Amino acid sequence: MELKICHMYPDVLNLYGDGGNIITLRRRLQWRGIGVSVDKLPIGSSASLSAYDLIFIGGGQDFEQEVLLDDLHRGKEAELKAAIADGTTVLAICGGYQMLGNYYRTHEGVQCDFIGALDLYTVGAKDRMIGNYVFECSPENGGSTIVGFENHSGKTWLGSGVQPLGKVITGFGNNGEDGTEGARFNNVFGTYSHGPLLPKNPAFCDLLLQTALQRKYGTAELAPLDDAAELLAHDEMIARLKKG
Amino acid sequence: MKLRMILAILLCKGLRLFSRLVHRGGTAMPGRWALKVCPNLLALLAKDVTSVAVTGTNGKTTSSRMIEEAVREAGIDCFANRSGANLISGITTEFVMNCTLGGKMKKHFAVIECDEAASRAVFRQLKPKTIVVTNVFRDQLDRYGEVTHTLGNIREGISGAPDAVLCLNADCSLTASLADDLPNPVVWYGLEKGAITQGARSELSDAAYCIRCKAEYDYDYITYGHLGGFRCPKCGYRRHAADVAVTAVSKQTALGTTISLRSSADGAEQTVQVNLPAVYNVYNAAGTWAACLQMGISEDVITRALATFQCGFGRLEHFDLGAQGTTMMLVKNPAGCNQVVDFLESMEGPFVLVACLNDRGADGTDISWIWDANFEKLEGMKDRMQHVYVSGDRAADLQIRMKYAGVPADIISVEHSYEKLVEICKAQEVPIYMMPTYTAMLELRQTVIKHCGGTDFWEG
Repeated sequence: MELKICHMYPDVLNLYGDGGNIITLRRRLQWRGIGVSVDKLPIGSSASLSAYDLIFIGGGQDFEQEVLLDDLHRGKEAELKAAIADGTTVLAICGGYQMLGNYYRTHEGVQCDFIGALDLYTVGAKDRMIGNYVFECSPENGGSTIVGFENHSGKTWLGSGVQPLGKVITGFGNNGEDGTEGARFNNVFGTYSHGPLLPKNPAFCDLLLQTALQRKYGTAELAPLDDAAELLAHDEMIARLKKG
Repeated sequence: MKLRMILAILLCKGLRLFSRLVHRGGTAMPGRWALKVCPNLLALLAKDVTSVAVTGTNGKTTSSRMIEEAVREAGIDCFANRSGANLISGITTEFVMNCTLGGKMKKHFAVIECDEAASRAVFRQLKPKTIVVTNVFRDQLDRYGEVTHTLGNIREGISGAPDAVLCLNADCSLTASLADDLPNPVVWYGLEKGAITQGARSELSDAAYCIRCKAEYDYDYITYGHLGGFRCPKCGYRRHAADVAVTAVSKQTALGTTISLRSSADGAEQTVQVNLPAVYNVYNAAGTWAACLQMGISEDVITRALATFQCGFGRLEHFDLGAQGTTMMLVKNPAGCNQVVDFLESMEGPFVLVACLNDRGADGTDISWIWDANFEKLEGMKDRMQHVYVSGDRAADLQIRMKYAGVPADIISVEHSYEKLVEICKAQEVPIYMMPTYTAMLELRQTVIKHCGGTDFWEG
């Protein structure tokens, strides 16, 4: 068995340690003796996205957003949408998550059209939503509790075409108002939990791997790993946030 | 106005005395209250003081100490905010501690380290004669935001001191862009092509795209991170020729570096010893050279200062702990952390690593950056890295980072108690390297000092 992973725009969407997710996906496959290859797809390069089993898109700086949209419009947008329609597993974080939606409207009212792969939109708020937070995935998304760090000024609102990834336990999530966090559509998982989401949340990481393996091989039995170190960091943060 | 100033000075000195009596540092708090009473207190005190200010992401403290050493070596009586309190509150406290109750300065020369964001409030009051900007890297993003935001803060800060001479790192495309829209005279410093073995182009560059036109930079050479001979193929923005240029780094050891340096004053090259290892300290030395020349200090004096200087305070600081000693190396962000990992790689022989990660305000509450740092290099050192102890508020996160970097799980231990850590270190037969984040360094260093001597941070 082998999974082919694509890291989209590692040259631009690499803010806040996003690369930690790739490291984690790779290790957890290797430790189980499953083959893995990771291709980086920087701006300007072309590759067929349909060749991949799992696509990762991270968060980025506003400054570089224009560069990115130009590149998406030159062909990757259509490819990405086709891959999503075809059931490819996608993890999109923060800026990458917003970019899959319909548009971003700044706090001042300037609208920037995004690629519209997911039925959601984002509106800039005055204050940034920053901090450690916890959310619980809905049962169809594995039901695990996720600890992460969010740092966004955009408030994301979900349309009827997508489901939330989960519900916020502490923190802001999509918009700090409706209690939802992230989005799920086909096999796309979008979340505001930026940077190294997967290292501390092994159950969620394995859900992504399982989803991708299931699609490719029709079966996905993952051998259990010793996650004591991962769960220690996971549980310590939950305990800290519970204490307030 | 005068009365308000005197009240503020009294309050500041009083609070400081109180802090010391109850054994707290009291570096920032007294100044904060004094500024509430007299908001332009710093400006009033600074008008009779010639100052050099240092700002930028990495190297502020080391550069400030180097400059201070040269100033003292030149026989000038100066003061400095050595405790690392580099916001307007801490800087004001330092000024008040060096003035009379009537507001008359006792010393007339200052070397001031200034936080990037705080430069907006500080520079327009301080009016430094010379400002060194070391570099701009991605730092604690939860505090500073994106790198362009940091750059904007520094630009705004400098705009409050339009007469200051800027000493800018020519190799940093972000820092160099400050010259675009500021009227200040500029002295450039940097490393020339071939000065060091070419660094690899990292995909995690903090500045891959042109700050002016957003095209991707080409590089003639890279020293580390995004620093080097950058040029934009589209708009022509490129590295400015350096007035103070390091042409060769000829010898690097654990204790120091030998460099060849050319400064435009006479065009000749000279050999200079820098009493610290690692490439980032070569930049700090070049920036120091540029600033000191600007302040009229002779090259002989700067050379002497760089050769004898000791930084201390957790920046490659040595302690007599363990049979072969302990070296403490503060880490704050991926660029600095990678430099420390590179340093470990350049050393030979077995060692023990102690890594401490806190996520308090001064460290940055977002620890995601540890995944940007190249800890993967540690896997290649596993034959001589005898053990890794992780500590601090986020020790558990550091443990996972080490695990996924490929460090064998059986040589990683979590140890939360600094007392126990120091006991463990005492028993080591091999050199110990400690890499703590800022607030972890303060506590760890104090515990180390308790066991093997040294001075509290506010005593410098």
